[in-house]
Amino acid sequence: MLNELEDWDLLQRLFHLAESAPESSREQILDQQGVSPDLKQRVLRMVQGAELPPARSHDQPVAGKLGPYTLIRHIGAGGIGSVYLAERLMSGVPQRAALKVLAPHAAGPSFIERFHREQHILASLSHPHITRLLDAGVAEGGQPYLVMEYVDGVHFDDFCDARSLGVRERIALFLQICDAVAYAHRNLIVHLDLKPSNILVDGQGSVKLLDFGTSKLIHSGTLLTTTMLATPAYASPEQLRNEPVTTSCDVYSLGAILFDLLAGRRSAGKLSAALMFERAISEAEPENMPAAVTDDSAKLRGLSAARLRQVLAGDLETITNKCLRPRPKDRYPSVDALADDLKRYLAGRAVLAQPQTTFYRVSKFVRRNRASVAWLTLVLIALVASVGYAAWRQQQAINAGRRAMQMQAFMYRLFKLANSNYTGKPAATVPEFLALGARILPDYIKNPADLRQAQLGLAESMYETGDLDSAQKLFTQVAAEAKAENDIAAQAESEAFSGNIHYLNGEIDPGAALTANALKLSRQPGIPPSVRVWSAIYYAWGRDNNGFRSDENLSLLRYAVKEARRSNLSNRETADALFNLAEDLELRGLMQEAQDNFNQSLRLYGSDPAALCEQSAIYGELAFIKQQTGDLPGSAPLYRKAYDGYKTCSGPQSRGALTQQEFLAGVLLKTGSPEQALSMMEQAMPLWRKMLGTGPDLSEPLNFMILAELANNRFPQAEQHAAEMVAIQTGKVAATDRRFGVSHLLWARALIGQGRYREALPHAEIADRLLAMNAISAGAKQAGAEAHALLLDVQAKLQAQGSAVR
Amino acid sequence: MSQDGEVTLLLRQWSDGQPDAMDRLFNVVYPELRQIAGALFRGEPPENLLQPTSVVNELFLKLIQQRSMRFEDREHFYSFSARLMRRVLVDQARNRKRQKRDGGFSVPLDESLVWIGAASVELVDLDRVLEELSALDARKCRIVELRFFLGFSAEETADLLNISKATVDRELKFVRGWMHERLNYSGA
Repeated sequence: MLNELEDWDLLQRLFHLAESAPESSREQILDQQGVSPDLKQRVLRMVQGAELPPARSHDQPVAGKLGPYTLIRHIGAGGIGSVYLAERLMSGVPQRAALKVLAPHAAGPSFIERFHREQHILASLSHPHITRLLDAGVAEGGQPYLVMEYVDGVHFDDFCDARSLGVRERIALFLQICDAVAYAHRNLIVHLDLKPSNILVDGQGSVKLLDFGTSKLIHSGTLLTTTMLATPAYASPEQLRNEPVTTSCDVYSLGAILFDLLAGRRSAGKLSAALMFERAISEAEPENMPAAVTDDSAKLRGLSAARLRQVLAGDLETITNKCLRPRPKDRYPSVDALADDLKRYLAGRAVLAQPQTTFYRVSKFVRRNRASVAWLTLVLIALVASVGYAAWRQQQAINAGRRAMQMQAFMYRLFKLANSNYTGKPAATVPEFLALGARILPDYIKNPADLRQAQLGLAESMYETGDLDSAQKLFTQVAAEAKAENDIAAQAESEAFSGNIHYLNGEIDPGAALTANALKLSRQPGIPPSVRVWSAIYYAWGRDNNGFRSDENLSLLRYAVKEARRSNLSNRETADALFNLAEDLELRGLMQEAQDNFNQSLRLYGSDPAALCEQSAIYGELAFIKQQTGDLPGSAPLYRKAYDGYKTCSGPQSRGALTQQEFLAGVLLKTGSPEQALSMMEQAMPLWRKMLGTGPDLSEPLNFMILAELANNRFPQAEQHAAEMVAIQTGKVAATDRRFGVSHLLWARALIGQGRYREALPHAEIADRLLAMNAISAGAKQAGAEAHALLLDVQAKLQAQGSAVR
Repeated sequence: MSQDGEVTLLLRQWSDGQPDAMDRLFNVVYPELRQIAGALFRGEPPENLLQPTSVVNELFLKLIQQRSMRFEDREHFYSFSARLMRRVLVDQARNRKRQKRDGGFSVPLDESLVWIGAASVELVDLDRVLEELSALDARKCRIVELRFFLGFSAEETADLLNISKATVDRELKFVRGWMHERLNYSGA
């Protein structure tokens, strides 16, 4: 005999060796190990014994009689007894029925009395989806039993899986169940053991619920409880805790069935009684339904796992969760309410389970009217998505996690799309809607900290849509409240944005002060990484753009990129940080490094359609870098990409698109396509005029227009536009500004083209004087040199003319 | 049932390394469970028996009615529960055997235990073999208890014991073979 303690390891090793080998070679393998014949036989017997016997079939024929019923075969076992297919002769005709043999304790002492008392109610349960309880009795020998209508069908879940029914078809079948349960509830009967194996589908595809009324007949006393009636995987927490049972228990069970039906088995293999009790006692919130989806479960629903998750996330998850809340009062008040919501879902209407936020109703409206989505709706989404974004942020504080991250990405995308999509109508009402949002927000969110987060989201939305005044007002308000409440993260975030807006408005001092304070606050412990990143970016970028250029700024922008990467911020935020760093590098003339960072940023924005404007801006920057480094032919296609991108993301009349277009025109002028450049600028000018009126900014497109006209020898038109350019600058731009120099240079060239050298002379002189001043950059120096050459040329021409005249 | 919180206290003492806490714990929870098991199995032909899972349901119900019950040490809690279930079921079987004097009583266990083999295997023998196993390899015994007396799935068992599901499957396969051989051939 084997000494177990010594050879336990050997025994396991031999067992696994033999067990993993084909049966025919096992003996040989063991012989090779040099084991004794006794041990070899033992291991072989173990391997044989380890084989799982085939599952015991319930469909065993049985012989026997209970009362007037003849048992035909065993068809199932449940918590309180076994079920048989039975037959009874009625007027000589055999009638089939399902006969449930009850354990005596489940029947209890006054089983038959109870049956007779309840019989009129149970008999009155007449519904196409409920199997009828026909009879009850106690056989000779004291064996209690129930007799029910026999249904020759398959289990509900098997039926759906065998046909790979899709989500909507499954819901349609589930609604039949709801109908039956609601009907029973109206008759004051709860089921208490609803589960897929109690629901059959017959040959006509009609659902049949078993065991309705059984709960009324079961004896539950002090020793045994209603708990034992339940199947823990589908039972409500209060039922598992043996607390009073109500119709709400059935609502919970329906939710559990719906969960399985839609997502597949709940976290497969995680359904043991023990764990369900643990959930019951800890009042655990419902599991994440999309997360329970597996490749297999998705396949059985005719979808990919990703697609099924997408389908379930949102309404269906919300509906299911509302059934599965640990407290009855948080569930649907009735099965009818659950069914109504499912019907609303199928019809594409807003379901009631979700808190009725504006965001929710609007997004639903959009989905339903996808074909005819109006501009107004997109604006509304911008409004409410910002509220939703804020809601995400509150949520993030509670349960940071993958799901929250996805939520963020989703919200951000929605609101970005809504803000940036070309809609063909003036965006004047966007600020109005955001202002409305700011006004009604306190009605939705009561907790002050949550409200601040929501207001921040809204203010950032205002900022994104360019309503800087309203955004500034809200940021200032939030900053003050956050400061009073010592909410440092919110204070840092609002002051960073607020400071940036001051900068954009040319208010340098408050901009510098606020961004500096935000940066300081953001370095305190416990500040979310995105606040740290943006505080650094706004501080550094603001200073670099407003005369405080320093190496500290550059290292802060580098830090922002590093921190975004380290903290795993979304691709989009990391791409934003890279974009800001790259722009700063470009500003400093570090073209190669700028180009690298632009390219990295471009990759991170990926193919996100919500980032199309950012991507287009990067193409524009990359084109500019090529232009600066002398690769003009290489820059044209990049400008074209930038232009096309902006046309899509913000419309052909948007400033972004028109700007890229004029840069493209500038390159075309220099690469041998002046006609094309001219026709582009001729189309663009009316749009620019509409956008900018007679503001000084119009001089930039006029500049390109005139260049195109000069290149095409349209000198009178160029002269006219140059005069206009000077006129709009006069009084708006300092008399010594280089921009005057450019205008006069163009004016001079237009006159020279027409041979009017004398008239050109004063313009050439002004251009030479102004462009020679402060010419630091290479481009400026070149312009200065050009102006000077032009002046010399004019003077030479005049001299020649003068001598000719003389 | 005991006073509120007593089970929690005893569980804590047990997991703090006071071995007699386990016995006292048994004494607190056991009598009532025996009574329940007795009621469930009294005088039943085997196919009409309630599933032992019903007893498990009742066990948890009793335990969680201790309002202060916490699942701080889940491994201890569930290992204890599994051991408790094993004792309840084995004692129940022993009791029946005494009453019936026929010794032919088959195991009223979860269907998962069908693999133990012949229907003639008695729970009492099973218990003895499990004791042997426990002495040889405590973890394997714990896996069997969790899996078959408490109805834990292989995944849950693996989770609780912080091992892989593959390990649970592998060890169970071995235990299956070993117990089968022990019960049927080794004169156990």
